[in-house]
Amino acid sequence: MEDTELEISPAPSDQNSPSLSISSSSSPSVSLPSTPSSSCGSTQPVAPLLGVINEGVCELSLVIDAEVAQRACHEVLQKVKLQQVGSDDVTDLHEQTDPVVPGGPSGPIAAEEEAKPEGLVPGTVKSTRRRQKHNPSKQSWLLRLFESKLFDVAMAISYLHNSKEPGVQAYIGNRLFSFSHEEVDFYLPQLLNMYIHMDEDVGDAIKPYVVHRCRQSISFSLQCAWLLGAYSSDMHISTQRHSRGTKLRKLILSDELKPVGARARREALTLTPFCPALPHSTATTAASGSLVPDHGLSPSKRTHQRSKSDATVSISLSSNLKRTASNPKVESSQDEPVRLAPQREFIKSLMGIGKRLATLPTKEQKTQRLISELSLLNHKLPGRVWLPTAAFDHHVVRVPHTQAVVLNSKDKAPYLIYVEVLECENFETSSVPIRIPENRIRSTRSVENLPDCGMTAEQRAGSFSVVPNYDNDDEAWSVDDIGELQVELPELHASSCDNISQFSVDSITSLESKEPIFIAAGDIRRRLSEQLAQAPTTFRRDPEDPSAVALKEPWEEKVRRIREASPYGHLPHWRLLSVIVKCGDDLRQELLASQVLQQLQSIWQQERVPLWIRPYKILVLSSDSGMIEPVVNAVSLHQVKKQSQLSLLDYFLQEHGATTSENFLSAQRNFVQSCAGYSLICYLLQVKDRHNGNILLDSEGHIIHIDFGFILSSSPKNLGFETSAFKLTAEFVDVMGGPDGDMFNYYKMLMLQGLIAARKHMDRVLQIVEIMQQGTQLPCFHGSSTMRQLKERFHMSLTEEQLQLLIHQLVDGSMRSLTTKLYDGFQYLTNGIM
Amino acid sequence: MSQLDKKAGLLRRTSSSKKTLKEKVVLMYDEIFSKEDPAKNAPRFWDELFLMKVNLEYLELKLESVDEEVQHSQANINALFHYCIQALGEEHPIKVVNALQTLCALFRGVHQKNRSASGFDIINLLMGFDKAEQRMKDLMERLDSLLCGEGSESLKSLCLKLMLCLVTVTDNISQNTILEYVMINSIFEAILRILSDVSSKHLHGYDPVVLLALLVNYRKYESVNPYIVKLSIVDDEPTLDGMGMVIQQALTEYNRQFRDKQEETQGGFFSTLTSMVGSMFIADADEKLSVQTNEAILLALYEAVHLNRNFITVLAQVRSNIANSSTMLETILSLCRVVMNNPELPLDPNLQTTNLLITFLKYASILMQDTKDEHRLNSARLCLIILTCIAEDQYANAFLHDDNINFRVNLHKMVNLMVEFIVTHMMKDFPMDLYLRCVQIIHKLLCYQKKCRIRLHYTWRELWSALINLVKFLLSNETTLLVKHNIFHLALLVVNLFNMFITYGDTFLPSSNSYDELYYEIVRMHQVFDNLYCMVLRVSTNTGQWKEAASKVTYALVNIRAIINHFNPKIESYTALNHISQLSEEQVLEVVRSNYDTLTLKLQDGLDQFERYSEQPKEAAFFKELVRSISLNVRKNVSLNTMSQDVLLKEFSTIS
Repeated sequence: MEDTELEISPAPSDQNSPSLSISSSSSPSVSLPSTPSSSCGSTQPVAPLLGVINEGVCELSLVIDAEVAQRACHEVLQKVKLQQVGSDDVTDLHEQTDPVVPGGPSGPIAAEEEAKPEGLVPGTVKSTRRRQKHNPSKQSWLLRLFESKLFDVAMAISYLHNSKEPGVQAYIGNRLFSFSHEEVDFYLPQLLNMYIHMDEDVGDAIKPYVVHRCRQSISFSLQCAWLLGAYSSDMHISTQRHSRGTKLRKLILSDELKPVGARARREALTLTPFCPALPHSTATTAASGSLVPDHGLSPSKRTHQRSKSDATVSISLSSNLKRTASNPKVESSQDEPVRLAPQREFIKSLMGIGKRLATLPTKEQKTQRLISELSLLNHKLPGRVWLPTAAFDHHVVRVPHTQAVVLNSKDKAPYLIYVEVLECENFETSSVPIRIPENRIRSTRSVENLPDCGMTAEQRAGSFSVVPNYDNDDEAWSVDDIGELQVELPELHASSCDNISQFSVDSITSLESKEPIFIAAGDIRRRLSEQLAQAPTTFRRDPEDPSAVALKEPWEEKVRRIREASPYGHLPHWRLLSVIVKCGDDLRQELLASQVLQQLQSIWQQERVPLWIRPYKILVLSSDSGMIEPVVNAVSLHQVKKQSQLSLLDYFLQEHGATTSENFLSAQRNFVQSCAGYSLICYLLQVKDRHNGNILLDSEGHIIHIDFGFILSSSPKNLGFETSAFKLTAEFVDVMGGPDGDMFNYYKMLMLQGLIAARKHMDRVLQIVEIMQQGTQLPCFHGSSTMRQLKERFHMSLTEEQLQLLIHQLVDGSMRSLTTKLYDGFQYLTNGIM
Repeated sequence: MSQLDKKAGLLRRTSSSKKTLKEKVVLMYDEIFSKEDPAKNAPRFWDELFLMKVNLEYLELKLESVDEEVQHSQANINALFHYCIQALGEEHPIKVVNALQTLCALFRGVHQKNRSASGFDIINLLMGFDKAEQRMKDLMERLDSLLCGEGSESLKSLCLKLMLCLVTVTDNISQNTILEYVMINSIFEAILRILSDVSSKHLHGYDPVVLLALLVNYRKYESVNPYIVKLSIVDDEPTLDGMGMVIQQALTEYNRQFRDKQEETQGGFFSTLTSMVGSMFIADADEKLSVQTNEAILLALYEAVHLNRNFITVLAQVRSNIANSSTMLETILSLCRVVMNNPELPLDPNLQTTNLLITFLKYASILMQDTKDEHRLNSARLCLIILTCIAEDQYANAFLHDDNINFRVNLHKMVNLMVEFIVTHMMKDFPMDLYLRCVQIIHKLLCYQKKCRIRLHYTWRELWSALINLVKFLLSNETTLLVKHNIFHLALLVVNLFNMFITYGDTFLPSSNSYDELYYEIVRMHQVFDNLYCMVLRVSTNTGQWKEAASKVTYALVNIRAIINHFNPKIESYTALNHISQLSEEQVLEVVRSNYDTLTLKLQDGLDQFERYSEQPKEAAFFKELVRSISLNVRKNVSLNTMSQDVLLKEFSTIS
């Protein structure tokens, strides 16, 4: 990862290093065809360039290096430049671009203005583009946009989707290399869906980028494979087998996309005249890369581990070149022949558990089975596996199986597991942590023998953690200890508390002579009731709803508790993650909703509207399975009501204090801000099935909607219930301080601001949905008017005053809505959800 | 001799002329027991011998009768032993099988004959002094490689049987001198390997575990037994798991049998196992046998819990009844790259997930229903010893008391079991030893709860009334009990339990009401405590052997007496004031609540201290006896099983 970023970083055109651009433009320009036609102009140069730079091209015809792509982009621009200005100075081009789009603080707004005439109405864009084909001056204008600082991934995806011109598509395909990985990753579902369902040219434009990224990263490979599988599933079975998506998926899973081989790499490096800074930096990363596994393994006693590390060392020695030897890719290709297998197996076994759980009749049985299955899984950890929903690189080391819970669901068996991981720099190259057996945790019986019997559990755990390397001293103490067990050593016992105990009973007699200590019975009784009162409110354990207790426990506390009990807990990089495993559910809609939520969140952030929403990570594994990142510190409204038997307002009072207290007020503000956010989302996306089991309440008072199974054109059972725009019950309004309160007005004001902001950036939202509509059978796209209706809900034509009125109507309508109440009643009757 | 002939002829029922037509193998045996070297005339004699089907009974009888010609045939017997060991290395499984069985017969026959002979004579007769060390080293190495190898599971099973046979040839395991070589050439690792292997674990049954338990008990107190050392440092999860699973299977099987029988006899009235109805259940011969068999399993469990600190995790580990965990090899592999061939658990919705501890508690509760029989009494004692070890162990306690574990670990069950035992065993033949252990277990649990401030949601009232009833029983049977037991020690423990609750109740009682209830119970049953005080006062003022012990109880009672003396007048005045003849419980509790503040208690030292369990001086005799009884039982059963290995022979002969 380290060195790939190094390759990429100088690439983006807005901050390019002059040395790079000059070197790239000077040498390959010779091989450029001088024809100005744009259709081949952008694709053609790529091939010869590859030939020049990469010697090993014969074996990997598809690889396009970021550098290459970058250069290709410059070629195109240069050509345009040649035509237009007649000057081939690249820096000159930049000078020219800059005045067009002034940078600085007014940047975003300017982008807005510029983008609007171009991209807002696709119909017109298409027609203009068609004209552009024969109009070089227009085309160059477009290219200038592409080259500008403001051209971001969202625009790239949009043009990729809307443009019919292979040249533009190919250009954007290359341009993808210059964006940061995170930016592109957000649009990965869109990219892959286009790859599967759109025409050849789009596919050809995208493929090099995907292949390149697959080579770099295992997780990206798997992500692609899963998404490709999921989005291909709606195709007819006969076409599916031969579709591009399926082929690419097979290619990825066959693991042929290993990192570029060492030899080719080396030659490439020696042949290409790189700027001097680059090899140096790779060398250093490499050095550290090779050091890390060595260091990690040395204390180990496991012979096979050691031999592995020896092997890597010998490889690096034999290759003799600092640069290549240090290249982590070399190592991974050497010692990791099946790089995708462990993770796939890990995911597979999690899914297998879900499937088997579904066959069990009761919650309790499911829970027990889950726990025993997970304990088996533990035997195979740690490994080079990770949770794809996590935000950082790590290795999974253990699943605290007793903490896992089965979630409430009628016929399927989604479950929540906690996963202990060790954070690492890079899960592909860092060494896999060494297994610490479960039972090592109870380090010493001798500790128990210490005189201090009053030591608490935490203290004990703490004292164990000082000794991170168990292996070495393990045998040392155990042998001694056996001696102690066998032959009662009198002198050893003299210092321990046992001995006191042995005559403690006898000592009662002698005690009489001493001054007796008196205690008051009343004090004991008082202490008892005080201590009981201090205990935090917890939910009762309910075998029918095992998740309630697990979810109510504050996350920090849970982390601390699990860490204490874990044999890996003492390690500094230890982290706890959690994940919901869903089996038998299609998460593609969830993913779509999550993307829209993320997009809206960033829009609102950008526009500084204090609406609060909490998008959560979704991982689609196939069309009927996946994983969800749980929202921590949150329980569903259903669980709140069932366990507390209080109204929502009273629950707020109980949890946060009186209405005037600081705590309550901030919780109320959080509640209003989140309500406003989710009300808008529910309205825009037409989120249905809004019963209390699908709405969470976190410890700070935010509500969080989950389960986006029914959005846009789909609604549960097609009963036509829930006609109101969003869920706003009297209880919600009560928490906001009643329909006449300031907070309620604030709520409506927030919604208005939010809608205005969303309207301004409508395109960014629409684009996500529109691309996913292609080739899909998802119920949310049922009917032909889905997109039109979605667009209409942004009410582009209304003035702000009219919008305000609209919000009022929506809120009033939802408050008065009988159907919401009716739907809750319906849910209570059919699913037992309060 | 005629008996020998008959034995030989038995295998040829069709043959009418017994004298002339002997089995070939029998003839060969005869040759061995002659003075001549059998290989002198037939150079392939030994080769051929192991191709013959072994006639165990004949060989054993022959060995028993060699008495007078011992000197002559010793060389041949030594040779036979030597060639047996060599044959173990043969490729052909039939030879190996025959060699194993022959060895079995050799060990048994020689011991049967020379019951009184010293171990050295036996060693000399079997292998000769000078070569003994080398021979045994070879034997153990061969067995080790057979057990660890890829060979047939039945072969491994037979190896284990041979080992069991060897270990149990003497009644007292510590007098079995040959085992000294087994100590030097340890096959511990091989046994563990068998235990950790998924596939083989089920096939070998209890043999490996029993073998281990017995080996651990060889000269346990006199010398350093390498098996003890090794067992105590095992930390490999699959292995410990495998051990736990074998033990659990045995106990589960017994529990199931018991339940079936109970349902049969009582028409399913009592389906819950924990409901104990004293000695209602009449044990028949069949059932007794399995209690006896399970002694070995219990011993194995004890050794594991007592010696191995890591085994505690296995105790509480949740597992499906039929679970297959990964092998050790797999676990190691998973370190570098996870090869997750997902273990498919059998799909059975009625599958009971449970853990070893719960199974064990169930077993103990069944066992304790009837302790009249000696074996049952011993087993019950062993159960309580195991529970003592568990109750003393920090980690086990931490696990048992962890409220956050979603799977219900039944600490309640453990306390219940103790309470029920206390209630149901107040009989003339008072099991004092078991009572002491029982009360100590409760005390140890309370100490942990006090220390870690854990509030177990248990209705302690049941325990209190059980303890008060126990005191009552002690008082009413004072004279008969005093003949055999020191009842004051038990009384002191019981009173100190109450003192724990009174003094430290704030740290572990589940609710403030329960503290009030404690006082209510004491005040309500004050007669018992009054009587106890009178009795101990009387004994302690007299001179006699119990003076010291009784006076301790007198001092321990100080707080209880303070409570009674404080609240009784208050209650009386309350009654008089309100003109009520009989106060309701609620009213008494009210009086208690309102009068705490004027009551002062004395802080007693050392209430939360206890004597740690140690096997060495106190329990050694018990374990010696137990191991003897297990040895006898195993020997009896193993001989039967060895004969059935003919089936195995057939298996191989059809393959080859």
